[in-house]
Amino acid sequence: MFGKVKPLWGEKPTLKSNYDAVIIGGGLHGLAAAYFLARDHNMRNVAVVEKRYLGFGGSGRNTAIVRANQRTQENVPLYREALDLWPILTKELDYNLMFYNCGNLNLMHSEAAMNAARMNVATAQFHGVESHLIDAKQCKELVPALNISKDITYPIFGAMYHPPGGILRHDAIVWGLAKGAAKYGVDIHQQTEVTGIGVENGKIVSVETDKGRIKTPRVLNAAGGYSAALSYQMLGLKLPISVLTIQAMVTQPLKPILNHVVSSGAYHAYANQTLKGEIATGAHMDAWPNYTTQTTAYYIKHQAEALSEMLPCLRGVKFMRHWGGLADMTPDMAPIMDGNDPIEGYYMDCGWGYFGFKSCAAAGKYMAQFMDSGNCPAMLKPFNLRRYEQHRLMGETAALVNYTPDN
Amino acid sequence: MALTLTCPVCGKRNGYEFRYGGEEKGPRPEEADLSPQAWCEYVHMNQCVAGIQKEWWCHKDGCGVWFTTHRDTTCNLEVDKPEAQS
Repeated sequence: MFGKVKPLWGEKPTLKSNYDAVIIGGGLHGLAAAYFLARDHNMRNVAVVEKRYLGFGGSGRNTAIVRANQRTQENVPLYREALDLWPILTKELDYNLMFYNCGNLNLMHSEAAMNAARMNVATAQFHGVESHLIDAKQCKELVPALNISKDITYPIFGAMYHPPGGILRHDAIVWGLAKGAAKYGVDIHQQTEVTGIGVENGKIVSVETDKGRIKTPRVLNAAGGYSAALSYQMLGLKLPISVLTIQAMVTQPLKPILNHVVSSGAYHAYANQTLKGEIATGAHMDAWPNYTTQTTAYYIKHQAEALSEMLPCLRGVKFMRHWGGLADMTPDMAPIMDGNDPIEGYYMDCGWGYFGFKSCAAAGKYMAQFMDSGNCPAMLKPFNLRRYEQHRLMGETAALVNYTPDN
Repeated sequence: MALTLTCPVCGKRNGYEFRYGGEEKGPRPEEADLSPQAWCEYVHMNQCVAGIQKEWWCHKDGCGVWFTTHRDTTCNLEVDKPEAQS
């Protein structure tokens, strides 16, 4: 029982001097891209290079909520595809991702918010995603623990109810994808830091790591919170990203009381009960860029206040753990997925902010297509980097809360 | 994350009194012949330094002054005295 445990993704591989593709970042997006490259595109000579360990960053720090009720036409299909992939991946990877499609309830606290939700619901329904507008009484019927009285700071007017959403076990997806990728021959190099990216005549030629040089024609930047810094340091390419620390916490385990993900823009809080019984809740973002991932007493107080109004039965429940992670926020709250521009062979899958978890499977699938063919799939075209200079920012900021260091 | 900033007028104050104003990117570009790329570079693009960066702050809940300071983004500590700017 206490013998040497072999990881799911096999023994430590040796770093080869040549790969068809190098993926920077052993998180969900990098591993998903590697998995789909190997599975669908027969590109198996692929290295995933991770500075620390698999799932060290946002992949292991998020609150594992998935949904496809985004605001804009471009985003919804991508997230819907990710939602559809969880049961498929669970089977394919032969690994229980613990997908619990309990449904999401986005609470609305004013008539104006209800109107905004009405548009969100219309977008979802247009794309065939189940989403309804419900009133406060229906909210109470779905979540009896909810406080719908009028005498709280932000009384509940109604909610956007999105039944297909839910939660997963985030570590399971990291391990499952790593297992799946390794099965197809992908080399996963942990504790390997990228120190430089070689470019010749506008083309990617190599990646320098602290374990040696790798020749490669393709690089995917899937470094999450560090992607913008990496892009600027190694290629001089600035990205429209601000990196902020975002916090989350869990309470002590409780008997089942919350069978939906509940979120509120006005209270600036969301909560769901994990399968272990803990209430996982977030999400406070620091209002200035930093890489600390440190937590604050300020936020514990905020969260306690919000939860004890929204879900009064949680008064007196103790928080058990509290942690922070990095969110790479773009000005329009939508990611940057682009490639071959301005450097041929350089692909980006970054700027995910705090949406990287719910999208990873679909983003990996399409980035793999992109990296194999060199042509951007239609699904990813709206997410190009040039949209910022063309003033074609996406309208995702209209959904829920707008987190940037600028507001 | 705890943050203490030194306002050039009020001295050391709690970071929550301030509003972050972005990375220092030099003067605003001239509007004559301004290309969309140059404007985008000024408005949106960041270096996202994991280390010491020069940045703008406004003491919004205090005297209202705008100033630049140097801060280490990996530990949230100021590393220099802020330089008062107009």
